[in-house]
Amino acid sequence: MTGRSEVIPAMPVGRTLVRLGPTRVVVRHRPLLVGGALALLLAAAVVLALSLGTPYVAPQDVLRSLTGAGTRYDLVVLELRLPRVVLAVAVGAVFGIAGTLIQTVARNPLASPDVIGVSQGAGLAATVALTAGASAVLIAPAALAGGLLAAVAVLLLGLRHGLAAQRFVLAGVAVAVALRALTEVVMLSADPIDGIRAQIWLVGTLAGKGWRETAYLGATLLLLLPVLLWAGWALNGSALDDDTARGIGLRPVARRVGLATAGVLAAAMVTAQVGAVDFVALAAPQMARRLVRAERPPLFCAALVGALLVVLADLAGRRLFAPTQLPAGVLTAALGGPYLIYLLLRARRKVS
Amino acid sequence: MLSTRDLAVGYEDRSVIDGLDLDLPSDAFTVIVGPNACGKSTLLRTMARLLAPRRGTVLLDGAAIRDLPTRAVARRLGVLPQSPLVPEGVTVADLVGRGRQPYQRWWRQWSPEDEVAVREAMVLADVAALAQRPVDTLSGGQRQRVWIAMTLAQDTEALLLDEPTTFLDLAHQVEVLDLLHRLRTERGRTVVAVLHDLNLAARYADHLVAMRDGAVVATGPPRQILTADLVRDVFGLDCVVVPCPVTGAPLVVPALGTLSLEKGSPCAAQS
Repeated sequence: MTGRSEVIPAMPVGRTLVRLGPTRVVVRHRPLLVGGALALLLAAAVVLALSLGTPYVAPQDVLRSLTGAGTRYDLVVLELRLPRVVLAVAVGAVFGIAGTLIQTVARNPLASPDVIGVSQGAGLAATVALTAGASAVLIAPAALAGGLLAAVAVLLLGLRHGLAAQRFVLAGVAVAVALRALTEVVMLSADPIDGIRAQIWLVGTLAGKGWRETAYLGATLLLLLPVLLWAGWALNGSALDDDTARGIGLRPVARRVGLATAGVLAAAMVTAQVGAVDFVALAAPQMARRLVRAERPPLFCAALVGALLVVLADLAGRRLFAPTQLPAGVLTAALGGPYLIYLLLRARRKVS
Repeated sequence: MLSTRDLAVGYEDRSVIDGLDLDLPSDAFTVIVGPNACGKSTLLRTMARLLAPRRGTVLLDGAAIRDLPTRAVARRLGVLPQSPLVPEGVTVADLVGRGRQPYQRWWRQWSPEDEVAVREAMVLADVAALAQRPVDTLSGGQRQRVWIAMTLAQDTEALLLDEPTTFLDLAHQVEVLDLLHRLRTERGRTVVAVLHDLNLAARYADHLVAMRDGAVVATGPPRQILTADLVRDVFGLDCVVVPCPVTGAPLVVPALGTLSLEKGSPCAAQS
C-alpha cells in the first residue's frame, strides 16, 4: 500500500465501526445524535402531556409519581393520563415505522398507509362493524382483518411486476379509492348516530384507550423486531435501482416484499387500534430523513419523530379547545395539508 | 469463463435472442457491437443474470448461473447496468463501499478487507480525491468512474458493462475505456462491454462480437474480422476500413452517402 492511498478514507465520514465479538456494525453518528435529541424531546413531551390538564400537575410531581415516590396526583398521572400518553408513543412509533417501510418500497415520500389502502380497508371493516351494531370488542379485530385484506390485495396486485415502486403505489391508490367509496355507501345508508360514531373512528382518536391497545402495539413491535433489525440494514440498498442491486448480489424483489409486508402489517395493527391517525406515517419518515440528512428515511429516528408527533397532537387535541376534545387525527391532518404544500414547493424548487 | 448454450431471451411477446451459443474468452477485453435493438444489451443483461432466459443457460465457469446464489455470483461477476440511478446525497466512498455488499451481512458489516478493496477501487478508478463528495454533484464522466469503482470494489474476476460510455463526450469515453483496458492488462480482469462506437471498440477490444437480429454474425480479434463487408452486413452501412493512424487498428469511415465532395478536394472518393 502506498503512502498516498493510506490517507484515503474508505469509510464515509461520520460513521464508526462498532465491534462486538464477531459482530461488526457500522454506526452512523448523525442518526445516533438526532435519535438521542429526539428521545430527550419525547421524554419532555411525555412529562408535559402528563402534567397539563385539569388538574394541572407540576412536572416535579409527575416525575415523583412516575418514579413511585407517591404523590396525591398518582391517580391522575398514573391511571388517567399515563395509559393514553404511552399509547400515543406506541401509536406514533408504529406509524413512523410503517411509513418508513412503505415509503421506501414505494420510492415516494407521499406514500403512507392511507395512500395504499390499508387505512381504508380497516376503516371499511370498522364502519361495517359499527353500523351493524357489533359489540365494541369486535371493532379492532374487524378493522385489523379489513386492513390486512386490503394490504394483501395491494401486494398481490403489485407483485405481478416485482412490486415495482409505481405499480405498488397505483395498486394502493386504486384499492384505497374503491374502499373509501364503499365506506361512504355503508355510512350513508346507516343510522345517522352510527354514522357519526364511524366517522369519529375513521379520524382516529386515542380518547378512552390505554393499556390494552398499547399491549397490542407492543406485541406487534416485538413480533416485528427481528424484521426491523434486518430492515435497518436492508434499507441501505433500497436507493439503488434493481439492476444495480442485483449486480452487487442483492435480491431487490424479495427485499421489497419483505419490507412492504412488515410495513403494511404494522400499519394495519396500529390503524385497527386507534383508527387512521392521518399524516404521521407520511410526515415522520420525511422529517426524520431531513434531520439525519440521509438518502432514505431512518427507521429508528422516524419512530421517535412519529411518537413525538402523536404525543403532541393528542395533547393539543385534549387542551386546545378544552373541555371539548378533538381527536388526535384531526390535528395531525390539519398539519398534514401545509406539510404536503411544503413538500410540493420544495420539489418544484429542485426541478427549476 | 462466460458462455451461453442454446440461449433464448425475449420480452413479453417479442423474441430477441433465439438459440444462441457463445463463448467469451477469459482474460480478454471483449466488446459486443451491433445496430440498435440487435439484442446486445439483452445478451449482456442475461449473462449478468439481470434477465431470466426463456430457454437455455448461461454458464459461469461451466456452472449454470441461475443455480448459483446471487451473492456468490456477485463475488465473481461485477455488473454495471446502463445509466444506473444515482441515489440522492450518497457520497462516493459510500457508493463504492456498496460494492462490498456480497461480502457483508448485517451483523458483519465492515472488515479490513472491505477497507482495502474500497480504497484500491477508488485509487484505480481515480475517484479517491472525490471520496467525500455526493455522487449526484459529479460530472457524467466522474460518475461513470465512480460506478466502475463500485464494481471494482466487488473484487470480481470478470466485469460486465452495458454501454459504459453512453452520454459521455469523446474525452471521457476514452478515459473510461483506458481504465477498462488497464483493468485487463494490469489486473488480469476479464472485461465484457457493450459499446456503440465501432472505432473505439476496434481500438480497445481484444475480442469483438458482432451481432445482428439477436444472432452473432462474427467473433474474433477486430483486426481480423472488422472489414467493410462485415460493417455492411451488420449495420447496413457502406464504408471504408483503413488502419488507424495512431493504433493501426481498423478504422471505419462511412462512405459518402448523400454528401458530395467539394471540387478540388484532396480526397479521392474510394466508394
